[in-house]
This record gives sequence, structure tokens and C-alpha cells, in this order.
Amino acid sequence: MQTSLTGSLGKPGFGSDLRALFTVMWREWVIFTRYPSWIIAMFIWPLIFPMLYILTARALAGPDGTGMAVFMATTGATDFIGYIVIGTTVWMWQNIVLWDVGFALRNEQMRGTLESNWLSPTWRFSYLLGHTGPQIVSMLMFITITAIEFGLLFGIQLNGSIWMILLMMLAAVPAIYGLGFAFASLVITVKEANAFVFLIRGLVMIFCGITFPVSLLPGWMQSIAKWLPQTYLINGMRSAAFSNAGIRELAPDLIPLLLFGTFWLVVGYFTFLWMERRARRTGAIGQY
Amino acid sequence: MAELAIEAKQLVKKFPARPGTGDKGADANASPAPRRRFFAKKEPKAMFTAVNGVDLQIERGEIFGLLGPNGAGKSTTIRMLCTLLEPTSGTAQVNGFDIVKQANDVRRSLGTVLAGERSIYWKLTGRENLEYFAALYHIPAEIAKKRVEELIERMEIKDRSNELVEKYSTGMRQRIAIAKALLARPPILLLDEPTLGLDPQAARRVRELIAELKQEGHTILLTTHYMEEADQLSDRIGIIDTGKVIALDTPEGLKRRIDQQEIIRLELTGWHDDLADKLKSISGIENLTTRQQGEADLWEVNLHAQNSRLALPRIVESISGNGTRLVNMNIVKPSLEDVFIHLTGKALRD
Repeated sequence: MQTSLTGSLGKPGFGSDLRALFTVMWREWVIFTRYPSWIIAMFIWPLIFPMLYILTARALAGPDGTGMAVFMATTGATDFIGYIVIGTTVWMWQNIVLWDVGFALRNEQMRGTLESNWLSPTWRFSYLLGHTGPQIVSMLMFITITAIEFGLLFGIQLNGSIWMILLMMLAAVPAIYGLGFAFASLVITVKEANAFVFLIRGLVMIFCGITFPVSLLPGWMQSIAKWLPQTYLINGMRSAAFSNAGIRELAPDLIPLLLFGTFWLVVGYFTFLWMERRARRTGAIGQY
Repeated sequence: MAELAIEAKQLVKKFPARPGTGDKGADANASPAPRRRFFAKKEPKAMFTAVNGVDLQIERGEIFGLLGPNGAGKSTTIRMLCTLLEPTSGTAQVNGFDIVKQANDVRRSLGTVLAGERSIYWKLTGRENLEYFAALYHIPAEIAKKRVEELIERMEIKDRSNELVEKYSTGMRQRIAIAKALLARPPILLLDEPTLGLDPQAARRVRELIAELKQEGHTILLTTHYMEEADQLSDRIGIIDTGKVIALDTPEGLKRRIDQQEIIRLELTGWHDDLADKLKSISGIENLTTRQQGEADLWEVNLHAQNSRLALPRIVESISGNGTRLVNMNIVKPSLEDVFIHLTGKALRD
């Protein structure tokens, strides 16, 4: 006589959830490497965007470059190209995270794979967190390529410690990705969020001083800049790069950055939980 | 009484009706919200009832077919049972677990194939897809490796298991989707339109597979558009229309319901709507459905009649003239499709 099945091969537990998380990362990385055009873009983009500002600065400095000395004195930078590259790299980092992590779930939704992931008993946040791992690796590659390209082509000279620059970037990870998590969850609900990306990157571009010191902004704009973590990241990276600042000197940028990071991680996680619950009521996971 | 694999009691699912889409089934007493003033009290949203009090009792080891036209509520019912959607009211248990309170246990008990071929990653190979989903279903690595190999063999994709899914045919992608559902060897399978869009040979292979899975002890809830498929595979069939189960029985039991009826099947050219009105007005004709045969002006018309002998002379009389030509006529035994038409007044693909 035929007997009916009652149990499954799955073994729930923390270890299984962790393995699932790493498998999501592996999947993301494999798919990333199967789009060669992204790798090509990784070599071209780091040059194109900062070049716009570098060439504008050269033009504005006058034929004999006298304007550049004024700029150096105002900013305290020893290398104007390095100064600009740090600002534009932070801008590109936030921009890529918003498009990439921010649209991670939405892209899965449009591909049709989000529901099949959602059917499994895995911890749901793994899908977003798992997307972030390979994204951080690809961003590290992007930033390394930026440093190599500008070092070789423009001979950027840094006075500070590379480890302090990396420390600032590490401290910015929770804030930048926390915002990405919150954004990813909202995109699933509202579907169309390009305007929000344009708004955030516009704010970073204008208020955080990607090519100029924030102190040059009017008072009310400086007040807004204080509420944007990218302001502290850019300032801290420049201090580490050009003033040889150590942890003590970087603390005024490092501490707010970590506080913003905690805030955005919590906001990101709870926005995700809210979205997940709402999607079960409305069916938003399966809707294009 | 046999043990139940799935039990749903008065499941209801309502969605806010999308403005301007004329959502079928939008509640009549909920009018579209008027333009709001800023401080005005919020008007209740118009709601669309997709599932309206579904009761199901599916026994362990059986294949249960859920039949219904587009928008009848089949997929919404499946989506509630697999925890993608929360019911507005009512309860359901899958493998003894509540679909809301014990959602993760329900997911562990289920293997689900949703309609459409995009439920797997096209930029991964067939093997990589299965390895990936095995981890999501918490299958220990050493068991997963063997299980993936076993399913690749079973689905007959061994030679191409290391190719990207984007290079596969629709039938192969569907086999990977089914293999994905089988990875954890779950006791219950939800198969939403598993043969939709497949060529006849691939569809037949999937049907054979479903029959094998029943033999292995899986309980299967199957939704389909294809009557023959439901008839051939299902132990019992539920017919769902406008969000309600309107009939539930074995295929034979359902057919017995219209044993007293005869189906007059006509093939004709020059079909027009006036003719439909004429035929429907003939005494003893209870239902009429039409289907165009290919792209030519050849139509199949099915008439449900209590007594074909009495109705035939008037049918022939109605057809003659007006550019209509009768090509063929048969009186046939009722099929499951005819039962469906009898119960819902429409063909399954309407």
C-alpha cells in the first residue's frame, strides 16, 4: 500500500539560515560575473565622472593655474585631483548602492524570481543582506580601480594613511547600506522610485561638498549638510588623505557616521519588516 | 476519516480595487472614493473580492484539481495556501500548520510551482539553480548534493545541467521549476498551471511525472486550464468561479450531474451573434458555447439540451440562411468541460 509523505529533508536552524545567506551572496556574485559589460563599466566610470569636475577646475583656475592655489588654500588639500576624486567616489558609491541594493528586490520581482525565493523557509532579510555582500566586494573593486587609475594617470599624492581612509569607509557602510535597505523595501511597495534616487544623489551632490568645502555653503545649507552622513564621510576621508589625521582627529566625523549608521540600519530593517508584512496582505511581492 | 493534508475554512481574500480598471468582482456596495478634501474623513476604499469563502479538505496522498476560468480565484487560493498572501478572513492549515501563525512550517511542508517560467534564474545553470534553492530550503549540503543529482537524472536534463537556463526550452525550464519544488521532498505539492505553454510532448511528460509523484506519496493540489488534464490526473475536482467553490466531487461524480443532458456539437461557418440569440431561445437548450477553430471561419458550437430529438429540427431551422453553413453535427456524451459549462455558464478559457 502506498504511504503518504509527512516531513521534508529541510533541517531548520541558525546554521541553515547562515548557509542560505552565503548561498544568496554566491548567487549574486555568479550572476554579476556573467554580465561582462558591468566589468567594463567598472574601469570606465571611475574616470569619466570625476573628469568632468577636474577639467572644469583646470579651466576655472586660469591659463597659469593661479586659481588652483586659491582652491588649495581654501580646502587645505595638497592635491586638487585627489580632493575631487574622494568626493565624487563617495557620490558614486551612494548612487550605485541606491540603484543596485535599492532595486535588488524590485529587479527580482520583475524577473519573476522574488516569489520563488519568498516561498522558501529562509530568513527573508537574507535576500537583501545577501545582495549586499557581493555589492560591497564590487564597490571595493571599483574604489581600488579608481585609486589605481588616478594614481597612474594623474599621479595623485596622498599625505595620509590608507588605513584611516579605509576605516572611514568601513564606518560609512552601515549608513550607506542601511539607507539602501530602507529604499529597497519602499521600492517593492511603490514600484517606481527613480525620482527618489535623483533626490538623494542631488542632495549629496549639493550639500555634502563633493567638489568644494561645506564651509563655503550658506548657513542654512550647512545645517542640512550636518544631517547627511556622506558629509562626514567625505570630510573624514579628506582629512585622512591630506592631513594625515589619526583616529583622534577623525573622531568628529567617525562618531556621527557610526550614529547615522545605527539609525539607518534600524530604519532599513524595520522598513523591510513593514514591507514584508504589507506585501503578504496586498500581494505586492508578485505584482509588477 | 482520512487524514487531511490541506484544510481551508471560509477563506476570503479582498484587495483594494484598482481605480479605472473595472476590476471584476468589485463589491457592488463600495463605490469609488470621491476626490478627498485635505481634512475630510477618509472614505472606505472600494474592494475587490478575489476569493469569497473557499472551503477545501484535501486528503493525504490525493491529487486534487482546482478548475476555474481566469480570475476565478484559483491562483489567489494557491498564493494564500503557500503563505505568499494573508487571507482577509478564514483559516487554513497545511500539513497541520496554520498558514498565518506557522508560515515557516507551512513553507517547509510545501513544494510550489507557480504559473510562468520565470521562477528560476536564467543566468544560472540548471544545476546551480537547484543547488541554490536546496540551500534556501535548508537541506544539509551533503544531502543536497545527492538530491540535486537525483533530480537532474529524473528530469532528464543531465546532459544540459551545466548550461545556463536561458538556453533551455520552455519544457526544460518547467522541469527545473518542478525539480526545485521537489528538492526538499515536501509532503505537499502545489502546482499552479504546470503544463501551461508547454508543447504536447512536454506536457505529457509533466503529467506522467505528476502521476508518479502521487504514487510516491505526495499530496498534490493542481490548478489547470486543461479539462482533460484534470480529468486524467485528479482524484477529486473542485470547480471555482467568482471566488467560490461551486462544485466538488470526483471527475465521474461531476459528470454524473449532467448525465441527463446531451451535448449537440455543431461545426459551422458564417457564425454571428444573432444566431446565438436564436439558438438560446429554443426550448430545452440550457447552455451554448462557441469556439473558433483556428483562424478559418469555422466554429464549434456546443449546445446543452435536455432532449436533442426535440431540439434538433428547430436548431437546423435556425441555422439555415443568413450566410451560415452547417458543416458537421454530433450528439456527444458530456465531458468535464460540459459539466463546467453547465455549472458556470461559460467555457473554461473565457
